[in-house]
Amino acid sequence: MDSTSQICQSRLPDSTALKQQQLPAYQLQLSATKVLTGFFITGAFCLGMGILLILSAKSTKEIEINYTDTCANCAKLRENAINFDKECTCSISFYLPETMQGNVYMYYKLYGFYQNLYPYILSRSNSQLMGRDIKDVGNCAPFSKSHNGTPIAPCGAIANSIFNDTIILSYNLNSSIHIKVPMLSSGIAWWTDKNIKFQNPSLNNLPSTFAGTTKPPYWPKPVYKLDEEDSVNNGFINEDFIVWMRTAAFPTFKKLYRRLNRIQYFTEGLPAGNYSFNITYNFPVTRFRGEKSVVLSTLTWSGGSSLFLGVTYTVTGAVTWLASFSMMAIHLMLNGRKTVYSQQ
Amino acid sequence: MAAGRDTKANIWQYPNEGSSCTPVSLSARRDIGKQERYLQANNKELNRTFGYPSNAIKTSKYNVFNFLPLNLFEQFQRLANAYFLILSIFQLIPQISSLAWYTTVIPLMVVLAMTAVKDAIDDVKRHQNDNHVNNRSVLVLVNGRIVGVTLTAQSYSPSSVGNIYFLKLHEEAGEAGPVLLCCVCVLYTGDNVLYSSETNLKVKQAVSVTSEMENNLQLLSAFNGEMRYESPNNKLDKFTGILTYKGNSYFLDQDKLLLRGCVIRNTEWCYGLVIYTGPDTKLMQNTGKSSFKRTHMDHLMNVLVLWIFLFLGSICFILAIGHGIWESRTGYYFQNFLPWKEYVSSSFVSATFVFWSYFIILNTMVPISLYVSVEIIRLGNSCYINWDQKMFYAPKNAPAQARTTTLNEELGQVKYVFSDKTGTLTQNIMVFNKCSINGTLYGAVYDKNGKRVKVCETTEKVSFSYNKLADPKFSFYDMTLVEAVKKGDRQVHLFFLSLSLCHTVMSEEKVEGELVYQAQSPDEGALVTAARNFGFVFRSRTSEIIVVVEMGKTKVYKLLAILDFSNVRKRMSVIVRTPENRVMLFCKGADTTLCQLLHPSCRAIRDVTMGHLDDFASEGLRTLMVAYRELDSSFFCAWSKKHSEACLSLANRENKISRVYEEIEKDLMLLGATAIEDKLQDGVPETIIALNKAKIKLWILTGDKQETAMNIAYACNIFDNGMDGLFCVDGNDGETIRQELSSAIDKMKPKPLLEPDPLNTCFTTKPRAPFRIPEEVPSGNYGLIINGYSLAYALERNLEVELLRAACMCKGVICCRMTPLQKAQMVELVKRYKKAVTLAIGDGANDVSMIKAAHIGVGISSQEGTQAMLNSDFTFSQFQYLQRLLFVHGRWSYNRMCKFLSYFFYKNFAFTLVHVWYSFYSGFSAQTVYDTWFITLYNLVYTSLPVLGLSLFDQDVNETWSLHFPELYEPGQHNLYFNKKEFVKCFMHGVYSSFVLFFVPMRTICNSVSSDGKEISDYQSFSLIVQTSLLWVVTMQIALETTYWTVISHFITWGSLGFYICLLNFLYSDGLCLMFPNVFQFLGVVRNTLSLPLLWLSVALSMVLCILPAVGYQFLKPLFCPSTVDKVIDRMHRMKHPLPPPVQTKLKHSSTRRSAYAFSHKQGFGSLITSGKFMRSMMPKKDSFSFKK
Repeated sequence: MDSTSQICQSRLPDSTALKQQQLPAYQLQLSATKVLTGFFITGAFCLGMGILLILSAKSTKEIEINYTDTCANCAKLRENAINFDKECTCSISFYLPETMQGNVYMYYKLYGFYQNLYPYILSRSNSQLMGRDIKDVGNCAPFSKSHNGTPIAPCGAIANSIFNDTIILSYNLNSSIHIKVPMLSSGIAWWTDKNIKFQNPSLNNLPSTFAGTTKPPYWPKPVYKLDEEDSVNNGFINEDFIVWMRTAAFPTFKKLYRRLNRIQYFTEGLPAGNYSFNITYNFPVTRFRGEKSVVLSTLTWSGGSSLFLGVTYTVTGAVTWLASFSMMAIHLMLNGRKTVYSQQ
Repeated sequence: MAAGRDTKANIWQYPNEGSSCTPVSLSARRDIGKQERYLQANNKELNRTFGYPSNAIKTSKYNVFNFLPLNLFEQFQRLANAYFLILSIFQLIPQISSLAWYTTVIPLMVVLAMTAVKDAIDDVKRHQNDNHVNNRSVLVLVNGRIVGVTLTAQSYSPSSVGNIYFLKLHEEAGEAGPVLLCCVCVLYTGDNVLYSSETNLKVKQAVSVTSEMENNLQLLSAFNGEMRYESPNNKLDKFTGILTYKGNSYFLDQDKLLLRGCVIRNTEWCYGLVIYTGPDTKLMQNTGKSSFKRTHMDHLMNVLVLWIFLFLGSICFILAIGHGIWESRTGYYFQNFLPWKEYVSSSFVSATFVFWSYFIILNTMVPISLYVSVEIIRLGNSCYINWDQKMFYAPKNAPAQARTTTLNEELGQVKYVFSDKTGTLTQNIMVFNKCSINGTLYGAVYDKNGKRVKVCETTEKVSFSYNKLADPKFSFYDMTLVEAVKKGDRQVHLFFLSLSLCHTVMSEEKVEGELVYQAQSPDEGALVTAARNFGFVFRSRTSEIIVVVEMGKTKVYKLLAILDFSNVRKRMSVIVRTPENRVMLFCKGADTTLCQLLHPSCRAIRDVTMGHLDDFASEGLRTLMVAYRELDSSFFCAWSKKHSEACLSLANRENKISRVYEEIEKDLMLLGATAIEDKLQDGVPETIIALNKAKIKLWILTGDKQETAMNIAYACNIFDNGMDGLFCVDGNDGETIRQELSSAIDKMKPKPLLEPDPLNTCFTTKPRAPFRIPEEVPSGNYGLIINGYSLAYALERNLEVELLRAACMCKGVICCRMTPLQKAQMVELVKRYKKAVTLAIGDGANDVSMIKAAHIGVGISSQEGTQAMLNSDFTFSQFQYLQRLLFVHGRWSYNRMCKFLSYFFYKNFAFTLVHVWYSFYSGFSAQTVYDTWFITLYNLVYTSLPVLGLSLFDQDVNETWSLHFPELYEPGQHNLYFNKKEFVKCFMHGVYSSFVLFFVPMRTICNSVSSDGKEISDYQSFSLIVQTSLLWVVTMQIALETTYWTVISHFITWGSLGFYICLLNFLYSDGLCLMFPNVFQFLGVVRNTLSLPLLWLSVALSMVLCILPAVGYQFLKPLFCPSTVDKVIDRMHRMKHPLPPPVQTKLKHSSTRRSAYAFSHKQGFGSLITSGKFMRSMMPKKDSFSFKK
């Protein structure tokens, strides 16, 4: 044996734990204690989390004013594309019963506007928006070039369909004094979008950098004139534009429009009282049976006033507890069945 | 056929005439028929023109140049691959493309590459194998010299048809089937192709005219005989050919043909003319179709993929309709912002395009990596078999080997095991174990207190040092017998003398004192070896004398007659003239026949001996009775005359001879009885008991005789004495067999009076349609024995169902005297009518067809050659490893595969169906929820490793338990863990998960903003939340499925989550996005969204909602409907301490059964020996015993 094993190598397989399938391991068993404990803990967590979320959502204040039909004449005007350069404004008054404490954000909210259609999402040129190549309009069909072949900047269906209503909030101290609520139009877009994803081709002299391109067909003015008050907020880095370009996932969505500049009367937030929105009505929604509204809201750590997470957590927690009790009962009743096993 | 039989008889009767090579008549010429071949010896140019195949084998598929095109072509023949190829082409069409091209192309490339690498490795192995075989050298006569050439050497094209082939002793007749040209003598081949796998010697003779050439190379080279012979066929026992040489024609039959695979014995050399080569040889013709084996799981997977296709089609159709409606109601009015494309004239056209777009998006429902993952898993699980130390057999240095890596999970589903007997259940070693001489029992071992003990390795062996010629390998444990021999007990001496004289064994003595016996059956060899060791050494024989060294003294016995063995007589005798000039008849035979021939005076001793025989039988030993008779010289002379007359008579010769035999074989004096142990392999009975517990049915399909097979069946617990009945089917015509079978069925399952037999109605309504025979429960434990002759009828169309019904109801089934083809037919029968997995296990070339036919073929590597091994799917050295192969490896493989499949389908459903929910909110515009990169990498990277880890490492129950509770094996047989029902469950689970995974994030972000007021309800954030939730949910799901947490499992499960986060940071990183702004668009999403508490709350909620129900289901299911497995597992969990080692129980056999005589299944060699023809080669060598005829 000795001599032969030296001559011909033994073909005995290695005795590593892996090869012998003997790796040390923890055998997971769903024992009753483990499962029931797990259910109880999960239930407790969900209940606690749910109640916390509901409470925090309840602490926010939100007011939403739908102005689609309030400005009916404007809506009708906008249904016909021919009237695109006719200005139409309307004013909506409302009463704020309670002070909105802290930071107040103003959103515009669109109903039934499909920013998530596949051809729509696709219709943009990131390299153009990045300022890399102003004439790259490759994916922008059907809004890539104007009739005479000039590339559009910014190109694409998303840019073309930008929300272009102007909403100005006024605080009506009394019937005669209307104070324009100071609003900030900066800091409303993601930092990464503002500083990395959207860049103007060059910083100085925007009109010349955009030479050789044309404005999107629905736009009244070129991209370098988007914000007439703040010259820095123009071109591709215009924050309203950036916010719009971040396409919404669902046909009903709200986008941040302005945030309250907490100065003068408004250091604490929006005081209770009479307000009015002065809206320049440009964006047509009635044609595709959409609606638009303006939203004022305060926020907490968990975001806005959405109750969904809180309610679902609470319900889940309750159901889990219920389930764990009934499972315990079933376990105690039926466990006998499993154990009756005799070896022949 | 008839011609062949006649000539054979001639050989036996008139051996001195030496040949059947009489000039061929015209009728024989006609027999050969049109399908014939022609060749001329040593005429290469002529033979080449016929285009007979070469002997070189080629199993490899590719070479360097054609690998890529050929392999790709083959891969695209697979439905799934072709589907994904078409899909990638679809994606290039801009009108319908809804995904970036790389989402399909990258996974497809990876899958193709992996398969290609695997195929390449396999093919390299095959190339090596081919080279190895083709480089084997054979000796061929070339230009008057014997040259060793390899099979591929072009210059000689060796061993191709028409060449002369040289074979030496103990050499295997390589790759060709040569016809014997010449040899010095008749030679025996240890042919292991025919019927039994017991190595049987067969007689082959050369044609006399060529025999004369002897060893003269000049003559042989000049030999230019022409041959006409039948074209290749698979009939092993038939051959017709005509050799024309020097104007004369000679008829050749199967006795002239050496089959490929046979081994030359008893001759130093021989020359053969190669007539069949390569695939034409009878052996290759007989190996049956080599078909690619596919598992039940493969079929199921194909069906399921088809289901998924149908589902995919219908869901796309529904979504396309939805799109049509949406476009006409909303999209049409939305055209200000998103005008329709030029080619879209109406919403209907748009819907048509969207149908295909959704077809592309939802393609991930058909899992692209399914097939390649399945292959990896099977490969891994095969490696475990190769690596298993507990299936390594040290004495042969042979580890178990998974030769096929595609059948693993089927090992966990076996319902029927078809086993060969010899070499598989038994070791094919006969051991002289006990004997009874003159009423005294020898062979049992007692300890000091007089208690009987079991023989084990430590038991002291009897020393045969007094006998120089003793076989050192022989061992015996009872001292008393040796003492009796030494004492000179006359009866004992006579007993061993008779054993050393009464046989047809040949001896070989190449080195002085080293005797090698060539026995026709191993039983005989064992008896002669026993006699040799006790001091009665059979040294050599000629046709007329037998030389025996009796206790050191050489004595020469004159052989007067051999009264040969036959199946009817069940005994053989020799008549010798002793040196003392006494005429003695020695007889050995089955007790049943011999008892009636005994002299009345030995009644007392007979009764004692019968008692001993009962003891032997109860231990499962093969017994023989030995007797002698001293003959009066004159009586013998008279008898001898009668004998020769009978031999010469033309009519009714057989009968006459046996009547003459009977005249002299009477009034025998009983000497004793022998008991030979047909040694079972280690652990065989235990393994069979375990298989029975797992409800696996074991059928023995053997070429052996009924008695031997039954003996073994009892010995290894297939039959036991507690059985309610044993049916023996041995009818000689269809009608009898039908009656036997139906009466057996009726007895096992009494027919209900009113209900019609379900099977008969099946028959009458749909006689032709294939159907499955349902499981039938018999009323008790039964056994069935059927022999090959009856099987020939029973396997016919009209009887096979009856046969199968009867057989399936029995606890054990034994089929004996089977041809290789019948074995395969039996397996096919079960495969056809039973929805069960079959496994065939065998070791010999006669098992090859059965091994190939069964779903799983297992080869036992043994001394009987490698044919079975080469054709099998798994090989190992001991039958007992079958238990481990099935219960440990098979069970694990099956469980792993099932877990893998359910999880795999689940994760793809959960992944893909989210798109469907989203379509309701995105105008059915074929917008995906996920980033294209996530779609590309989901199956390939993010979720592949945990599931692979699960299916390579998971153990629901460790090996000790799965061996201890064979019941755990049962679910596999009924395929309970993954079937269509389970698939529907996976589907429902997937639908539910996708529902949760879509609506929880949707409701979370809808109308929500982050705490700094910025929006998070944008598409990219939503996409990220769903992706992250999905990955957490599927990873938790697999964590829940994993029961065996090794370090590796932890690493790959949690690692893949971590890897996801890392890759996310990379794919959405500023740098990458800035470099390819149009490919990587998700810049900044990670930074903004992953830091939101809202996102993680949403992920946690999705997880709770998806996982808790699954946990609850797993917890409640065994409570409500506990299965056997649940009970066993529960019991195991209660037993904290490890199991005690299983107690070895000695299996007891009852004494009611008597094992039978087992010489050989054919007529003995007696007449051949008396003819003296074989002696020519020996005589010149052994001068000391050369006697002239």
